[in-house]
Amino acid sequence: MKLGLPKRLLLVLCCASVVLSFALTGCAAKDDQKIEIELVQYKPEAAVYFDKVEEAFNSTHSDIHLTISSPNDATTILRTRFIREDYPDIIGIGGDINYSYFVDAGILADVSDYPGLQNINQGYLDILEALELIPTDGIYGVPYVANAAGILYNKDMFEEHNWKIPETWDELLALCDEIRAEGILPFYFGFKDTWTCLAPWNAMAVELAPADTAKMVNRGETTFSVEYRELSEKYIQLLPYGQDDPFAYGYNDACTAFARGESAMYTIGSYAAPQILSVNPDMNLDSFVMPACENASDNVLNSGVDLLFAVTDSCENKEAAYEVLDFLLDDENLQQYIDAQTAIPCKNGDFKLPSILDGMSYYITEGLMLDYQDHYYPSEMAVDAQLQTYLIEKDIDAFLTKFDTDWLRYNRDIIRTVQAYEAAHGDKE
Amino acid sequence: MRNERKRTFMLITVPILLLFICFNTVPLLRGVYYSFTNFKGFGRFDWVGLRNYIDLFSDARVGRSYLFTFMLTIVTTIVVNVISLILALALNSKIRAKSFFRGAYFLPNILGALVVGYIFNYFFTYLLPAFGKLVGIEALQSSLLSNPSSAWIGIMIVCAWQGIAMNTIIYISGLQTVPADVYEAGDIDGATGWKKFIHLTFPLIIPFVSINMVLSVKNYLMVFDQVMALTKGGPAQSTESISYLIYNNGMSGGQFGFQSANAVVFFILIVVISVTQLKISGKKEEQL
Repeated sequence: MKLGLPKRLLLVLCCASVVLSFALTGCAAKDDQKIEIELVQYKPEAAVYFDKVEEAFNSTHSDIHLTISSPNDATTILRTRFIREDYPDIIGIGGDINYSYFVDAGILADVSDYPGLQNINQGYLDILEALELIPTDGIYGVPYVANAAGILYNKDMFEEHNWKIPETWDELLALCDEIRAEGILPFYFGFKDTWTCLAPWNAMAVELAPADTAKMVNRGETTFSVEYRELSEKYIQLLPYGQDDPFAYGYNDACTAFARGESAMYTIGSYAAPQILSVNPDMNLDSFVMPACENASDNVLNSGVDLLFAVTDSCENKEAAYEVLDFLLDDENLQQYIDAQTAIPCKNGDFKLPSILDGMSYYITEGLMLDYQDHYYPSEMAVDAQLQTYLIEKDIDAFLTKFDTDWLRYNRDIIRTVQAYEAAHGDKE
Repeated sequence: MRNERKRTFMLITVPILLLFICFNTVPLLRGVYYSFTNFKGFGRFDWVGLRNYIDLFSDARVGRSYLFTFMLTIVTTIVVNVISLILALALNSKIRAKSFFRGAYFLPNILGALVVGYIFNYFFTYLLPAFGKLVGIEALQSSLLSNPSSAWIGIMIVCAWQGIAMNTIIYISGLQTVPADVYEAGDIDGATGWKKFIHLTFPLIIPFVSINMVLSVKNYLMVFDQVMALTKGGPAQSTESISYLIYNNGMSGGQFGFQSANAVVFFILIVVISVTQLKISGKKEEQL
């Protein structure tokens, strides 16, 4: 190929500019002594909020440059990066089994020297501590916001028909019958997305099974067949009150249908509110605690840490990371997050809770809360899919037996660690 | 002169070979290495010997995913090849607006599998049941994808809808290699219709049939996008394909080591199947 002189000149110029720009950026990085902090958080739905925070932080801090990314499926992305030993400085994840794994793997740094921890609600710190596979000294995450699961309901519809909020299991079933008698669908389920099968399950489990069921099983003290039987029996009683063919519709379908008034209630967490309200902004939405017990006084709210920030062990500048945490935990910023995501703050203080949590606020202020049981389930065991199978096949014995055998299989390494720990520390307790 | 030619060939080959080793062979070997550990994808891990492989053969979920994948592969391969051969025969005959139809039938292939999956998702969940109610067919009234025993049909339909396009093109090009004088000779011997196809056309396009078979089998054994978009492995884990299980449990679940073992077994299986296929069809090829 032979190029004319002008073209050749252009080519040379292009190459030169590329080389030059590389050289320049190299210099810029050297001259500027800014500390780079990278934060990866797992809630893509809150990306707008985090973009704003990133901008506000960078415009007020001259010495630190913050980058926040909010990718889809961030846990998978984080894990893939961890395989390459490439760690962001701060990660924003949920208080679930991934957190347990990361603590156990020694990826996260101890942040007990972070002064901001003093303002964090002790209840949520306890929840995080309980998630550690084996008791580990130190604090490895700063709880940011929590969510709660129970039943969301259409307030206008309830007022119009004069329905009362149920406080016991029998009252709930009676209410469902009453709603159905008026030709309205009590629940709309989105069971095609398997994870939605866990929402009612978790909400009922806090009242019907011991909070540390998973840990007791790991120590060999009980089985799921024993602890989860009543829970499983009751769960399936909800199914007839949903639409036909609930396994055909996903989470989005259910949110849309509920928002359009096709059902009176939806058994899901507070996190669904933004999506429901985006379909129908005028909807009068409220919530109540799932009443799975016979006694109203035994009711407990199902609430867990929805987003926590953890500093990774490989973060070179902890002080800078703490400054970012301070900024995130700033009352004004936190309130913005609460408003946008209908979340519950994990920080003590005078925050305005979203109105859709009115029905649960008593439990929140009184601290009558227990963590999601599924935060202890290993994700590869796919309890959500097993629950979906159970709801389709309705075979309680097969479900519980499989739960027990699969649990032992998928938690083999954890159980071994726990038992080794028990053997070493058992006599102290 | 010869040496220079050789050198040029080497210059072309070596960088590609290095890239291939770097991005294919090395990760493959590392995968084999991880398959002997209980690696979760991060953090500490221990050497567990053959435990993963032993588990693999006693894991009901893995077994079911192999069953599902093989059933889907066999059915889809047959459906796709029969339909695309018929289509190719039609599109190769003297019909009006031939190029338009060829273009139209190729269209599904240029759409992304995920996009197609989401559109069909809507179709199976809302449109088909509505149609079923309208005409009163019981079987169609609930979503195809919500029933564990019928969900695979939905995936099969989407795979076939998309796969037929490419196979048709390959068959059309195959049909065009059949020389006209063979048909003239056949006409003199009185061969018509079905006989003409089975004794003249088919033997001469066997190489294309074998390419299509190998491509289809390989594609559907590794089915992933369609499962992701349509069912995410559900309902009741009835549509978990092998690739989906490896991705899902290896990456977002903590089974990197175990699923690496699964991937190694799956890799060997695909190699064996492809080689056998090529050997069998290689024997049947006719040369003019």
